[in-house]
Parts: sequence; structure tokens; C-alpha cells
Amino acid sequence: MIFGLGPHGERASPPERVSLLPEDMAAAKAATRRVAIVLHTLDGDWTKQQISGMLGIFGDCGVVVTEVIDCGFSADRQVSELDRLIVAAPDAIVALPVANEHVAAAFQRVSEAGIRLILLENVPTGLLPGTHYTSMVSSDNFGLGKMAAAGLAPHLLEGAAVGVLGFAADFFATNEREIAFTNWMQINRPDVRSHVQRFGAMDEASDLALQMIADDPNISAFFVVWDTPANAVAARLQLAGHTPAMATVDLGEDVAIALAAGRQFVSVAAQLPFQQGVAAARTTILALLDRTVPAWIAIPGMSVAQSNVADSFQIIWRKPAPREALRLLGLAP
Amino acid sequence: MPIDATNTAESSRSRGKGRPRISETAVPSLVQILNLIRTGRASTRQELEQKGELGRAVVADRLQLLSDLGLVDESELGNATGGRAPRLVQFSGRQGFILLATLDQTSIGVGVSDLTGKLLTQHHEAADLTAPVAQLADRLTSLFNWCLERQATPTAPWGISLSVPGTVQAGRDDVFMTTTPTTLPAWEDFPLVETLTRQFGVPVWIRSSVETMTMGELHAGAGLGRRSILFVKAGRRIGAGIICDGQLYRGAQGAAGLIGALPVVSDGVTGTLDVMAGSDMIEREGRNAAQSGRSPVLADLLRRGAEITAIEVSQAAQIGDPAASAILSKSGHLIGQVVATLANALNPEVIVLSGTLTQTNDILLAGIREAVYGASHPLVTRDLQIICSQMGSSAGLVGAARVASEALFAPAFLKDWILHGKPTLHPDFVNFRARANKAELPPPTHLPPSDPGRNAP
Repeated sequence: MIFGLGPHGERASPPERVSLLPEDMAAAKAATRRVAIVLHTLDGDWTKQQISGMLGIFGDCGVVVTEVIDCGFSADRQVSELDRLIVAAPDAIVALPVANEHVAAAFQRVSEAGIRLILLENVPTGLLPGTHYTSMVSSDNFGLGKMAAAGLAPHLLEGAAVGVLGFAADFFATNEREIAFTNWMQINRPDVRSHVQRFGAMDEASDLALQMIADDPNISAFFVVWDTPANAVAARLQLAGHTPAMATVDLGEDVAIALAAGRQFVSVAAQLPFQQGVAAARTTILALLDRTVPAWIAIPGMSVAQSNVADSFQIIWRKPAPREALRLLGLAP
Repeated sequence: MPIDATNTAESSRSRGKGRPRISETAVPSLVQILNLIRTGRASTRQELEQKGELGRAVVADRLQLLSDLGLVDESELGNATGGRAPRLVQFSGRQGFILLATLDQTSIGVGVSDLTGKLLTQHHEAADLTAPVAQLADRLTSLFNWCLERQATPTAPWGISLSVPGTVQAGRDDVFMTTTPTTLPAWEDFPLVETLTRQFGVPVWIRSSVETMTMGELHAGAGLGRRSILFVKAGRRIGAGIICDGQLYRGAQGAAGLIGALPVVSDGVTGTLDVMAGSDMIEREGRNAAQSGRSPVLADLLRRGAEITAIEVSQAAQIGDPAASAILSKSGHLIGQVVATLANALNPEVIVLSGTLTQTNDILLAGIREAVYGASHPLVTRDLQIICSQMGSSAGLVGAARVASEALFAPAFLKDWILHGKPTLHPDFVNFRARANKAELPPPTHLPPSDPGRNAP
């Protein structure tokens, strides 16, 4: 079930809606199209799985991926790369917009140049499906925020305080997670007080968390909107002698080990990046074949706790859970 | 920065005895110049002199004052056309911002726009409009607080504009709302306008969602650059928005376009268009088709315990379910018959379809197209486009932003706040806010939480 609405209030379409029929694959192979992928970063398992999901489908359909670009989280770099790609003129670009207003005009130039745009996780405000981009493929980020809150709630005492660390950039995915988490708490645990702060750079998250605990020593749990800063927050707080219960989005290796150990992390809402990559590639291919595709395709998340961390890790990352996690769970020597 | 009107006026120029103060004489030209700049009709001093029929000294004097008030900016140069490049005069659209919301039967959307009406950020989530009004008002307040927290620039809101699923009577509260319109039966006793004014300290405007979405399409969607548009929203209720000569036509009471109340005949039964073709009919017929087994897709959903709504029927039709397709086709033809009558009366350039029923499939669109093309004069349909909205609920937010920005800078309102630098210092609003603050609070069950320390939605 998808809980969120799209960037323009659209109802979600499931990934099955962009299934490829044998004739679609044959038509795509006959056309030999070129696609460029423009991502916020190439570091991390999430990105690797997204790319892996896309490359396999594109390969099956004879679509050539000409470039995979790392924007290093820089809006300026993304703008210059998009302008360069307009000249290179691939048939389609699959891109994750790293910012909102700062990159909107560059994405508009791409669509005006006649290049099909498939967006991942974020739509700069003002860009419309059908006019400026073809479709947006993302997780159900609202659902992920709710899931993380529901997983954390049993670990909160009556009247507890929770620190929520959102992302300062105006970014659809992280906005949705933050809003959904606090909304779930407000409805289901009105006794819980939420303190919200937002980090701009990842290394700011730990400083903010320490400051939040200094301001309210009753904070006994944190929700951080994705795993890399969440892990940094957990480590820094532990060094300072604090071990709040942690919830986050995405099951990185360190978070999986901590979850297996029952150490700080108690609730993880995980995206399925490989499946998202598959859906993005299928959407791109259908768009290149001039088939109608939905404005928003959403992939539901997966709730992960200590009890299902090993098998969930395999589903999400398509590889075995870290050896240390398996050992802690008593599943490996 | 707000400037005291009298001090500004008297300090900017010393006047001789017996001459009127600048605050009395300058206001009309200040209002005129600001609106020429804001609407893009003039962007240099020379253009202001020509279009405003004002002297150079007057333009220079008023621009200095507008610049001191932070309402215009002259820091950029335009293109030279032979001589020195002219200094561009631009409206400072980020001097304040507007909080926006669109309430629908099944969702709530919030957003922020600058003072030009440009949407800067938005969020939409599912909501049930039949839920207790206090709960909805609480959610709205929480989401507005979230919007305020996210503003990177240290500017303040200048207004709130709401889009609601019901007719808002025209002619009352034209400058800004001082009472809550009885738009929805459940909201009759809840002082929403007064509560929002008390909470956020800004004027509030409310329009029907059909009107705001029509304006959104005109300014940022399928109607961009067009003068004549017919907008049709199809959901539980079916309504039309009309743009004539580039302006929204509201009618004498603000009730123009209530086509859902018109009678239509289907299978020998007469009923209103809302009843015979709206999402309630689609939901009911879809459930029947699922229970009788006529629709294999919907029957399968029912077996799995899913709720059958108009969305499920639309999705089933999209993947080729014949019974679901027939239901939507019937709805499309009925809507099309009524829309054809309007199209023949108005001769629009484009008909834009929106609402939950048009979001998920093209069968409704096909039914409407067939009926309109079949029942219209050839000249009406010669260049007519009938398309689905690409803006979705964003149209409501963009339109709400335009409502507020036009109201904020309407000469009748602007003239009384321009020298103060911001509309929240308008004397009438200051009085209304004081009254709202003193007014008896709604009963606790109706009162949205207003803990100032609460910083989460």
C-alpha cells in the first residue's frame, strides 16, 4: 500500500503499471536508444543498486547507457552537467535533482531540448509531468516516515521526547519522511514531544543532535531521515555517553549490524533501490516508445527490525547480510 | 523594513506650509508605479514615465521610497540599445511570502509562494474532509508551521490563501476575509478565518477549488498564454471554471460554473450530473460490477479485501477491464454532454479536465471528447483542444497564490498599507486582528493546538 501523494498531489501508480511486454522489448531493441544517468552521488549502496537495477533492464532492451554522472551533491555541478548533456543530446536522461529552485531551470532546458526526462525521488517545484518531465519514480517516502515512527514508538516511554533530524534542502523525499514521522507521532502518540532540527551538510547532523540533547536532556530517541547521517549521529552520541533509541530510513551495513546487535537502532524503514532502478528503466523505455506512463510511480518500503534484518538485507541489497550481523544474530559462526 | 508612514513622508521631502503631505499625494502614484513594475508592464524608469504618464522627478522620488520600503530593486542592468544600459526596476517578490492550502474531499495540500504568486514549495497528503473539523484545522496549522520553519530567508508571511471544495460567495469580504464562509456544512460553526488570523497574524482569502485550479491552469498550466479557457473538475462534485478574456468569471454570487447541479438523463433515469456521473456513481457501479463478477479485476480486488473506490475503478479501466471501462465511458459521455453546452456558449480555446476521475485514466477523457465533438458547432471545435491537467492539485495552490497576490496589491487595499511597507499594518487589518485576538475562543473540541513551542507538524 502506498501512503503518500505525489509532488503535485497525484495518486501513486504501482511499478506493475510500467511492465514491459515482449513487443515493447523488441521495439526498444530495434530502436537502439541512448540514455544518460545523472545522480546526486555515486557513493553508497543505494546508488549502486539503483544503477544496477537500471543497467540490467536497459541492457535487456538494447538501450545504451552513455554516461553515469556523479554530481557530488552539488546543484551547480548538476546544472553544468545537464547543460553539457543538452549538447550531447541523449534520447533520455534519468536524473535525481539534488535541489529544488536552483536546478529547476536547467531541467526545464533539458526538456525544451527534446530530451525525455525521468526523475528519481524529487521534482523541482514548477516542473510539470507531461510538460517538463515524463514521470517521477520514487519510494513511498511518506510511508517510510510512518513506518519508522511505528517501529520506534514501542521503545518510547510515556511522555518521551524525540529528536527529529530532517534535511535542510527542500527535497521531496526527505520532506515527506519528516512530515510523515511527526504526523504519525502526533496522531498515535500525542504524549510524545518532537523536536525538529534540519542539517544542511551531513557532518552537521551530529553537532545538532548533541545540541538538541543539551537543550532537552529528556530526548530519548532520534529519527534521522536517512542512514548515513543517522549512523554518524549514533556513533557521536555514544562517544558522548548517550545511547538513545534510533530510527532511520535505509538499511546500510553499519545500521544492519547495529540493528542485529540491538544497539541503538531499533527501527529501520528501508527503500528497495534495485526495484526502483528497474521501475525507472522500464518507465524510460516505455516513454521512449511513446507509450503513456503515469506521472508518479511509487515503490513501497520495507519495515526492518532485529527479527528480520538478515533476510531483509538480502532483499534490499541482493547480497548476504554483513558477516558481523549474522554472527550477532547467531546465524553464522 | 516597515517605515512609519508620517516620518517617511516628512523626512523624504520637506514641504511648504499649506501643501498636502507626501503621504496624501504620493499614494496614488506609488500604487500605480508598484503595480506597473509588479505586473511586468514597466521595467525601466523610462517605461514608468511613459506608461504611468508621470514626470521624471516623480518617478525618481517614488522609486526611492519603494526601494526604502524594500518593495522594488534596481540593482540589475538591462540590455543597452545604443547608449548606456538602463537600470532594471524589479519587484521584490521575496520581501514576504504567502501560505497556501488546498482542501479536497480526499487530500490536503500546502505550499508557499513568493509575492508574485510563484510556487516555491509544496506538500500533499491524504486527508478525509469528513473528519472532525478541529482535526483538519489542526493539521492545516501544523503544516503551515512546517512551511514557516522551512523558509530559509528571514521574511514573514503576508497572507494565507485557501482553496476549498465549495462555492465561496462573491461580494463579501472583498478586501480580505473577516468571517468564515459557510462553504461546507461541517465547517459552519468553526471560525477558521479568525483562528488562522489569530495564529499567524496575516489576512486570509478563501476561494472555491474550481476557481483556484482554473486560475492555476491559466497562470502556470495548460491555459498559459490563452484568453479563453473552460476548466472542468470531475470528482464527487463536478464543477466548471470559466476564463473569459484572460479573467476568471465568478458570476454575480461567485457561483458560476456549478454544472454538477444540472439535470441529465441516463438509462431512462433523471438526476443531477453530480449524482449520475460523479465519483460516487463510479464507486457504486464499480462495487456492483465487482460483486456480480462482471468486472474480474474489481472482483479480485474485493476478494483480497480492498476497498472499491472511483480510483480502483479508474485503474481497472486503464488496464483494460471492460466493465470498469463502460462505467467511466458512461460518466464521460454525461459530463461531455453538459460541457458541450458550455463550450457552445463560450467558445473556449481549450477545455482542461482535472480532478480525481481524470488523474488515473484516459477513458473518461475519451468519453468527454466524443460527446463534446459530437454535440458542438463545427466552428467551436475547429481548433478546440480537450486535455487533462498536468498540474493536479498544484493548480489549486498556484491559483490560491494568485488570489492572494492580486488581493494584496489591489489598489483599494494597497493604498492603505503601502507606506507602512507590509499589509499586516493595514489599519483595517490591524483592527480586525485585534478583534480576532479578543474574540472568544472556539470550544476546546474545536480549538486547534496552538502551543508556540511546538515545532513539528
